[in-house]
Amino acid sequence: MEVDSTQAETSAKGEQVEHADLVIAMLSEFDAEGIVQLSDRLRELPGPMRVLVGVKDVGAAAPELITKNSEAASRVAFVAWPTLGLDLTGPPLPTISAGYQSIFTTSLRLEARACCIVASKLENATPEWIAGFLEPLLDGEFDLVTPSYAHHKLEGLLNSSIVSPLTRSLYGRRVSNPMGPDLGVSQRLFQKILGNLGGGPNQRRNHPLASLAPVAACEKFKVCQVHLGARTHPPTDWTNISSLLVDVLGPVFLDMERNAACWQRVRGSNPVATFGEQSLGSDQVGAVDVERLVNSFQLGARDLQEIWSLVLPPASLLELRKLARLTADRFQMSDQLWVRVIYDFALAHRLRTLNRDHLLRSMTPIYLGWVASHARAIANVDGEAANDRLEHLSVTYELEKSYLVSRWRWPDRFHP
Amino acid sequence: MLEQAKQALGQSTERFLTKFASILPGIVALIFAFLVSIVLAWVLAVLVRRLLLTMRFDERLTRWGWYPATESSSMNSPTQLVSRGIALFVIVTGLLIGVAAFDAELTTLLVRTIFGYLPNIIGAVLVLLVGSIIARFIARSVLIGAVNMNFQYARLLSVGVKWLVIVLAVAMALEQLRIASGIVKLAFGILFGGIVLTLSVAIGLNSRELVTKSLERDSQKDGTDAIEDPLRHL
Repeated sequence: MEVDSTQAETSAKGEQVEHADLVIAMLSEFDAEGIVQLSDRLRELPGPMRVLVGVKDVGAAAPELITKNSEAASRVAFVAWPTLGLDLTGPPLPTISAGYQSIFTTSLRLEARACCIVASKLENATPEWIAGFLEPLLDGEFDLVTPSYAHHKLEGLLNSSIVSPLTRSLYGRRVSNPMGPDLGVSQRLFQKILGNLGGGPNQRRNHPLASLAPVAACEKFKVCQVHLGARTHPPTDWTNISSLLVDVLGPVFLDMERNAACWQRVRGSNPVATFGEQSLGSDQVGAVDVERLVNSFQLGARDLQEIWSLVLPPASLLELRKLARLTADRFQMSDQLWVRVIYDFALAHRLRTLNRDHLLRSMTPIYLGWVASHARAIANVDGEAANDRLEHLSVTYELEKSYLVSRWRWPDRFHP
Repeated sequence: MLEQAKQALGQSTERFLTKFASILPGIVALIFAFLVSIVLAWVLAVLVRRLLLTMRFDERLTRWGWYPATESSSMNSPTQLVSRGIALFVIVTGLLIGVAAFDAELTTLLVRTIFGYLPNIIGAVLVLLVGSIIARFIARSVLIGAVNMNFQYARLLSVGVKWLVIVLAVAMALEQLRIASGIVKLAFGILFGGIVLTLSVAIGLNSRELVTKSLERDSQKDGTDAIEDPLRHL
């Protein structure tokens, strides 16, 4: 396999590839230097491995790659996204979901043993990350490798407040970042996922892939996680948080609905195998404007009661009303209340109590209330203590699972 | 003279009794039809109410946003409205049948007029129904969106938008019913304009806050001591 000098030629070559042992998709932009570094790192993989790498633009790195190519026979082919059938021009989260499906389809066609997806920005993702994902897969021991990023205590709040503890409670696997977005996937798993999705592109679009962890857990695939470095997140777009909730929680709640038979049988949770060295993020973070968050919550409590009353039982509504009367310096939302709210919204999503888009957007003030409460609670503690608090939240999710199961099975039963 | 008066009275009484005797079966038929229709209407109303309660009709309408959850009065619930509507329809039909016993020609004319007007009524009801659905959906979208954008007047904005659509739907329905179209147009223009003006003032007052906040944020970004928000949600 050769590396060609222009993007067009490379793409043409990519179309001719009939087999690859590994498929690596770089969903974010990679510059020429990054491509060359990645190429070098991939050549070091053990055994006669043929690797296909999908990047946005390989043209800029082509001369450098040719030089490298003349030094040693290359086993690595770089192709542009369209060659892999990827169209990554839409909004981020749905695009990544669609990207996963295209990559799995390509990997299946090329009979790849595994595939790796890197969606993080170049300044974070290094070739070492890819090696970290590939090693557990190539050893044949694991089917899904999820990332565990180093982050400061106020990063990844949506993941640490809902997605990760919910996945742990439902499916019994303690995975830090079930939604990736960077992942390593074995052939067995992507075959299974494509089989489950079935149908044509339209049907798949209706069931976006939120996380691969539920499928892996329910189908008894082996899951592990690998410690990676820090991942830079874009600053909060305060005007768009409700859209973020819709994009993230919509697919997560759909997964809950699809896998209800599986998660209702799961009790407790177990840690997954973890590789790499853990590094804690910085404890030094800026001050959070708690008052603004509390104001948003109070406004929601004042104006969205009518909508919340369709979703939440009277006891939770009463608790939220009491919370709304507290000032920012005394504001604290209990873990139990937060967990029950999430479970009730998941149930309302399943029952279509109201339009799903309205439902998820109406949750925004409660989420901001939790963020305010969490930011207050961890304001003067280090990263480890903040993690302990999140661990307590995860345990509460597990303890309250019986409430979810009860409501899920008998939604019409009165809950005070 | 007395004899003549007696005769006239006798003839008058006879005419009255003859006339009364000729319409008596009609009156009896009307009363009978009315009573039967009342009984039938009551039975049907009870059946429909029970059926709708079993189907949780009110709850479903509330979920779909057609009926406000805060509406606690069971007297005006959708279930009651539907059952009463059916009962009224049966009673009116019974009355028409009863009137037919008096004068078939009059009833035919009445029925023809009512049926001629029926398409307008159905059209108006459909316009009102669709308008109500759209109004409630848009009102809920506006309410949630405005709250998430921290608009203090979110509820006012939502109610304003809802009434804007409802007023439009009512005006269209009245136009369809051909009721005082000139007055309706004028009233619609005044009401619509009033609501738009109210909403503009509400948005304007909110925009002032938003613009101030936005300018404050921009000045912080430009300044050297800008404080970056440490929260990261993803």
